[in-house]
Amino acid sequence: MIARITHERVLVGVLLLELVLFGAIGSNFLTVGNAAEIVRASAEIGLLSLALTPVIVTGGIDLSVGSLLGLCAVVLGVVWRDADLPMGAAAVTAVAIGIAGGGVNAWLIARGIPPLIVTLGTYSLFRGLAEGITGGVRNYSNFPHAFLWLGQGDIAGVPSQALVVAAATIGFWLLLHRMAIGRALRAIGFAPEGARYAGLGVTRSVGLVYLLSGAAAGVASLLYVSRLGQAKADAGTGFELMAITAVVLGGTSIFGGRGTIAGTLLGVAILGILQTGVRLADLPAELAGVLTAVLLILALGTNKLFEDTGERLDA
Amino acid sequence: MIRTRTLTLTLLLTTAFGLISCRGGSESGRLTVAMMPKNKGNPYFASCRVGAEEAARELGVKLLWDGPTETDPAKQNEVVESWITRGVNVIAVSVENKEAISTVLRKARAKDIKVLTWDADAEPDARDFFVNQATPRGIAETLLDHTSRLLGGKGTFAIITGSLTAANQNEWIRQIRQVMAERYPNIRLVDIRPSDDDRQRAFEETQTLLKVHPEIKVVMAIASPAVPGAAEAVKQSGRTDVRVTGLGLPNAARPYLKDGVLDSAVLWNTKDLGYLTIYAARALAAHAVKPGDASLTAGRLGTVKIAGDNIILGVPFTFTKANVDQFDF
Repeated sequence: MIARITHERVLVGVLLLELVLFGAIGSNFLTVGNAAEIVRASAEIGLLSLALTPVIVTGGIDLSVGSLLGLCAVVLGVVWRDADLPMGAAAVTAVAIGIAGGGVNAWLIARGIPPLIVTLGTYSLFRGLAEGITGGVRNYSNFPHAFLWLGQGDIAGVPSQALVVAAATIGFWLLLHRMAIGRALRAIGFAPEGARYAGLGVTRSVGLVYLLSGAAAGVASLLYVSRLGQAKADAGTGFELMAITAVVLGGTSIFGGRGTIAGTLLGVAILGILQTGVRLADLPAELAGVLTAVLLILALGTNKLFEDTGERLDA
Repeated sequence: MIRTRTLTLTLLLTTAFGLISCRGGSESGRLTVAMMPKNKGNPYFASCRVGAEEAARELGVKLLWDGPTETDPAKQNEVVESWITRGVNVIAVSVENKEAISTVLRKARAKDIKVLTWDADAEPDARDFFVNQATPRGIAETLLDHTSRLLGGKGTFAIITGSLTAANQNEWIRQIRQVMAERYPNIRLVDIRPSDDDRQRAFEETQTLLKVHPEIKVVMAIASPAVPGAAEAVKQSGRTDVRVTGLGLPNAARPYLKDGVLDSAVLWNTKDLGYLTIYAARALAAHAVKPGDASLTAGRLGTVKIAGDNIILGVPFTFTKANVDQFDF
């Protein structure tokens, strides 16, 4: 078999390069403890990115996930503290709000409004609701220990949120790479009209990916709140752009039709390692932003060079 | 096929990454103090950094200065996490989100890292000491000293506050009344008006004050946007017998200080705050200070008071026409 230069291989190369580089110049970089911290810090972005991959594969976008995370976090706090319900009920409500938020996106997009416009609108709407509910200042904290375990605990050294991300990875991998709907999503991304005439349930499939994206924001809000120990309206600010960066870095085409879960996971890992590595190597934190740009251009540029050996529709 | 293999490879890599471990331990050699502002881009904190670097040079301490440049509240936590991983000796944080940061600061303490807060405090059990820049009592005393000097010991003044419900300002007002009762029997506070932290509102309220109480000779503006607002109103009124003092930032105060309408702007010396934080960090790391001690020696600042687990910077600092150009925030 001839070795092909796929985008994922380029990413694995970048990841190795980061490990070698930061391992050499960073303090305590190549340690179990640091690996766990990187996983913790990347878990929420990871979840959002996994869910965003099928969205972008259909040629869509979801800019509302960071704001929706904030809204879910606030709702979690309200239900638990203000309504005085058990933590479990609050968590379920938060995820339900996430699904509902995703549902709003799905419904509007099904009405033919472009996803960019819909989710740009709900980006403001969800954050606005979160700020409205808390007056922008109310901060929920002192959550029960069992809940905080989700964000701060571990099982034999493996951070608890790693399990959530692993489960989501398997789920989205099955969806995109092993189920008929995955193929439909690619087809929609390449040619939505063609997919419609081919008899695929375009509206239903597209609706599903936005619902899942909302659900991911809901679950991510649980990880976020339990990691930080507080729920405030500004939770998850800017997460949507970080997630989009990870997905695009992972090789998903922003025009739709192409993208893999493995690539996204690599994208998340590369960005997470970069952020921590820069700090441990005593480099200015701003450098992480510059290097992200360099990586994005480098990785995608390399991909462009070998484009015809890359993804295929029947992947 | 290819994709499954890549996935396996990724998983293997992650595992390998975790296993190549245990270079462990703290950074060798010099004492490393990691210091975090609320926001790296804010000139107020840049000014604190100048003092921190001065102290670090004097003490031969390695100073790491990092903090958020954006509004994401998780950022302060992530920076502290990376400092814990690096194994710094002391962490000193100006706290943006009390509840969130306390979680990770407790974790640092559990790993035998000394923890300070400065400028803004975390929950008390999450740190060893809070380097407190000014007590409400100290602020009240300094403001009244200026007022009394301007009034010649006798007369009336009015206050422009933030909002009528602001906790900080109300505490200061309470202390001002108390200090007046103790020390300044001939000075009378005739009115307190809100500015809602808005310069324009402070301008209008001061205009009203001057009409309703023509006898006042000093306007005390105790919210930083209120200082230039009140000064502008007095300036436009043409009342050369009325002066303004208050709590404010030097850049906003500068033009009015130079005009002479604004007599003084009280705050704390931000450079000294950074300087003291590093001296406190060093003392803490050397076990030279513990809660309950009465004082701490801090380089050019001399002996600094400790109240419980608060290290007090001391008397507030007054910006005047003469010194305001040394500050830029």
